[in-house]
Amino acid sequence: MNSLILVAVLLLLSAIGYQFGRKRALAGTGGEIRGLHSLPGYYGAYVALWCALPALLVIAIWLSAQGGIVDSLLIAGLPASAQTLSTGELSLLLSDIRNLASGDITSRTPSPMVLAAAERYNDLRSTGFAAMVVVGLALGMAGFFFGWRAINPEFRARPRVERIVHWALIVASAIAILTTIGIVMSLLFESIRFFSRVSPVEFLFGLNWSPQTALRAEQVGSTGAFGAVPIFAGTFLITIIAMLVAVPVGLFSAIYMAEYASPRFRAIIKPILEILAGIPTVVYGFFAALTIAPFFRGFGESIGLDVASESALAAGVVMGIMIIPFVSSLSDDVINAVPQSLRDGSFAMGATHSETIRQVIIPAALPGIVGSVLLATSRAIGETMIVVMAAGLASNLTANPLEAVTTVTVQIVTLLVGDQEFDSSKTLAAFALGLVLFVITLCLNVIALSVVRKYREKYD
Amino acid sequence: MKIKTLTLAAVVSVAMVGAAEARDQIRIVGSSTVFPFSTAVAEQFGKSTNFSTPVVESTGTGGGMKLFCAGIGEDHPDVTNASRRMKKSEFESCTKNGIDITEVKVGFDGIVLANSKSGADLDLSLEQLFVALAKEVPQDGKLVANPYTNWSQIDPSLPNLKIEVLGPPPTSGTRDAFIEIAMEGGCKTLAGAKDLELSGKACHAIREDGVFVEAGENDNLIVQKLEANPDAFGIFGFSFLDQNSDKVKGASIAGTAPEFEAIAAGEYPVSRSLFFYVKQQHVGVIPGIKEFVTAFTSDSAWGPDGYLVDKGLIPLPDADRAAMAKQAQGLQSLSM
Amino acid sequence: MTDIPANDATNDAEARTRTREAALIRKRYRAERRFRMYGLAAILAALGMLTVLLVSIVSAGLPAFTTTQIALDLNFDAGDIDPGGSRDPAKLASANYRGALLKSLRAEFPGSETRQGRRDALNMISNNVPFVMRDMVLADPFIIGTTQRVWVKSSADIDQLAKGSIDRTLPESDRRVDNRQLAWFEKLEREERIRTVFNSTFFTTADSREPEQAGILGAVIGSALTLIITLLLSFPVGVMAAVYLEEFAPKNRWTDLIEVNINNLAAVPSIVFGLLGLAVFLNFFGLPRSAPVVGGMVLALMTLPTIIIASRAALKAVPPSIREAALGMGASRLQTVTHHVLPLAMPGILTGTIIGMAQALGETAPLLMIGMVAFIVDVPGGFTDPATVLPVQIFLWADAPERAFVERTSAAIMVLLTFLIMMNLFAVLLRKKFERRW
Repeated sequence: MNSLILVAVLLLLSAIGYQFGRKRALAGTGGEIRGLHSLPGYYGAYVALWCALPALLVIAIWLSAQGGIVDSLLIAGLPASAQTLSTGELSLLLSDIRNLASGDITSRTPSPMVLAAAERYNDLRSTGFAAMVVVGLALGMAGFFFGWRAINPEFRARPRVERIVHWALIVASAIAILTTIGIVMSLLFESIRFFSRVSPVEFLFGLNWSPQTALRAEQVGSTGAFGAVPIFAGTFLITIIAMLVAVPVGLFSAIYMAEYASPRFRAIIKPILEILAGIPTVVYGFFAALTIAPFFRGFGESIGLDVASESALAAGVVMGIMIIPFVSSLSDDVINAVPQSLRDGSFAMGATHSETIRQVIIPAALPGIVGSVLLATSRAIGETMIVVMAAGLASNLTANPLEAVTTVTVQIVTLLVGDQEFDSSKTLAAFALGLVLFVITLCLNVIALSVVRKYREKYD
Repeated sequence: MKIKTLTLAAVVSVAMVGAAEARDQIRIVGSSTVFPFSTAVAEQFGKSTNFSTPVVESTGTGGGMKLFCAGIGEDHPDVTNASRRMKKSEFESCTKNGIDITEVKVGFDGIVLANSKSGADLDLSLEQLFVALAKEVPQDGKLVANPYTNWSQIDPSLPNLKIEVLGPPPTSGTRDAFIEIAMEGGCKTLAGAKDLELSGKACHAIREDGVFVEAGENDNLIVQKLEANPDAFGIFGFSFLDQNSDKVKGASIAGTAPEFEAIAAGEYPVSRSLFFYVKQQHVGVIPGIKEFVTAFTSDSAWGPDGYLVDKGLIPLPDADRAAMAKQAQGLQSLSM
Repeated sequence: MTDIPANDATNDAEARTRTREAALIRKRYRAERRFRMYGLAAILAALGMLTVLLVSIVSAGLPAFTTTQIALDLNFDAGDIDPGGSRDPAKLASANYRGALLKSLRAEFPGSETRQGRRDALNMISNNVPFVMRDMVLADPFIIGTTQRVWVKSSADIDQLAKGSIDRTLPESDRRVDNRQLAWFEKLEREERIRTVFNSTFFTTADSREPEQAGILGAVIGSALTLIITLLLSFPVGVMAAVYLEEFAPKNRWTDLIEVNINNLAAVPSIVFGLLGLAVFLNFFGLPRSAPVVGGMVLALMTLPTIIIASRAALKAVPPSIREAALGMGASRLQTVTHHVLPLAMPGILTGTIIGMAQALGETAPLLMIGMVAFIVDVPGGFTDPATVLPVQIFLWADAPERAFVERTSAAIMVLLTFLIMMNLFAVLLRKKFERRW
């Protein structure tokens, strides 16, 4: 019996609890729903929740704590000679024991002490598991009876169930916070190590990015420069180009689809445009590098402009194409949701359709449109593969879209999957870049939120 | 909603349980350069034996070393590929975690400078290559920022073309090897370099004024960019030149064209060694590691007639190969 | 006399006003038409870009759906395959099929006695032919000692030659196929022993280093497993979070923080989610590397902001009157939301979910960090088996040196797009069913 079966049994138990709770509530009034405080389903859900939640919670805590407890018990049971080992040696010994217990992998021939410990380890684990099964099932049963007994026709089941659902909703929105904390945590430690080697001032305000440090210790490398300004500038340049493509095209598409097009046309065109968002970014990368970039280069040459073969323009335009649906589909939904009464009112005043759109509908839909544009901008900043393939890797501080620039995501990818050793300043720089980008977008979002707040209106 | 929550719980518990299952296939991580060879052996190995086919990941040499040296046990890979030798710091981190390593040198990879078939032919000496790509070059006894923009400015015999070279970024092992062999080689013998005590740093710095374009690690993309732009040159691995011989051609370096025989014989100057490292503690525990090493080091794989040659590997000389095979199959420990 | 001009002036003024009004109306109508044209032009521009992309993909990818076969007389030589004549399956499984194949090739291809000739001959056909022979013998041991004419897969280079991707007029040194192979091929062609068939291998196998044996089944299954996890996690959590933030949460600093946070998560580069997955799911929870379950969880975290933002926009668009009416009838706030607001907001929520899923389906970068960028020959059978996904397969093939992988890359993209279009169609149907305008 493993934990999966245990969970399945508990879920089954809670399903049975649901039926029992329902029946008991109905039985209390002789089958008359009108006599109940809440709908019968709420009584069932009440029992089911009591049955499953405490038990699953305990099992989850048990599973996450078990490892540590077993380890400390194991160490306590080791002979005195092993107890005096240093932390590193002890952890090696522990991993030996654990590997021996699970699959016979050891770093050396196992000593009798290790063999005995491995056996003890397996013992501890199986005892722990058996205890968990007993506790989990007992809690499930106890919850079942507790919930079941509480049920009578006057019992206020709905508010109680709703309170639990309410908390579930809160937990769901907290996952976003947890993700953020997780991201910051996974970036922070490496970033701190990076900043202990390169001063934050140089990183944040340096105008020269060139991580040309040596890959090998015995090799004399050129010094790396870690000034992040040019790559952030490159990111914003490409993002702005992308938005210049995506916002007009997307917004006008949305307006046409929502206001002018026949429902049939809209039903066909909207999903077709959404395909643009789903084409893998690798494909866009190829498209940008092999079709668009040479085209711009050739066009530039023919009118006497010097266009780099990996120009920011090519990457930005292609990225703009990719995020069109983010603007068009979401804005279309929002425009479509503007109440018909507003349109009718405007038409009645003699306004033409386009005047209605410009002066009534767009202002009404503005918060949603801004939201969709923000989402699209976010995608553009975080987009990786297009720029990896089509934008250059060398940093260049310029506002000229015809030159090659590099972006934060490109640098992160190349620094992370390179051949250098993993704790070199180069790899650590990737984490620092991620962290700084995170902070910058956070600031942008705070500003955007307050702007949206200010102009938000509610219509009915 | 309820059903969904139930499924969710079930899925998560499957994940928890699955993690405890024993692993029966070899796991290989590491360099993207060795990846094509490692995967070819893995596939043949899976087909011709009863072992499951190894899973090969392309993580980059550094990332592979980090995973490899993290510890012993099923969660850690058994083999890591490398396009450079293991560093001392990496070796120490392995030793600290109780890992004994066997090093296997697989063969060579030629690094070529190539351009479109329709472009000009180029025959460069290492010195000319250095002068074309270095950040600073000696001129009139002084070190100045690289002034050359055309090949013909370096030497009138070279074509009158803008210098434009697409190459790998500083994080790449290919770039590292190129710098060490080609740039440093040219730098050391360059006239006037001795007087300026030009060595180390100045030899390794590649120009950043847009002449050398860092074009990423996707060599196919570089080939296609070269095809679109006949004036540009690209730096990439020999196997891509070999596969695309109808689109691009390699420039001769120091009078030697980048051809299979020339690289194998060591005549072509710019080539580097490829390695893989085996975790000895996993041998006999994860099934098939020893057999995999034997398959990799058999002549039908890495020999001059082996299938890896078709994939672009340049084999070791016969004597080295025999010695290396013996060392690998005997699982000799690496020491540093 | 005097009032006539005055009258004229009034008429004039009126006429002028009327013409001015007419001009104004004409102007307004022109503006109207112009505005409408902008909208149509925008849509046409987007469609045009889509068409260019699709045409370039399809034209590059179509050849991958066919493959070339060669009819070879295979000599199942008893001396090589079963020297003892024992017919023992264990021995037959590991017999020397390569030797038997080489003998057959020598008979088929004159000039293949030399070392170079033998290599040329072997490079005509796929290197899995010895395994095909093995399987034939194991299925029917009585063919040992006989010669059978079998349609075998050609090598990728010959396949390219047959499809015309290799120019026969080029000098020999620039061709992947040398003169001897070309002569053999042309002879086979004359004897009608070359045929082009539908490439079923492409749909029934997983990755391979030999282009002619490579398929996408493994990646498709991997993508499906990963997306199931992503959908199961991100849809309920995303909708629940959106409902809470939009319908229940008090407007205070805490919810502002959550809101900014979610918007910000959408801008985090996807590879950073990979780093998070590496740190949390692999290193902390000890889940297996390369597994769809981990990929699914990472992608779920990545798509969560998209779903939440879209769902909130959709919830926001439901008129307050609906809520007031439901509350007025005595429904609780939760009942109002689940019975009335949520169903009405569903089309928007589904749009957001589909966009998020599409994004997850096409994502490569975060999977790089959790070991899904890998060469995996076995088709995954469960959520914890090592697996790769379609975009990663595309990424890997795009980086492979063999030329024949170029068309397979495009073909894999076509398969990915087919799935995407199917998902979109599904969304359209759902949307049609639920959408309403007020």
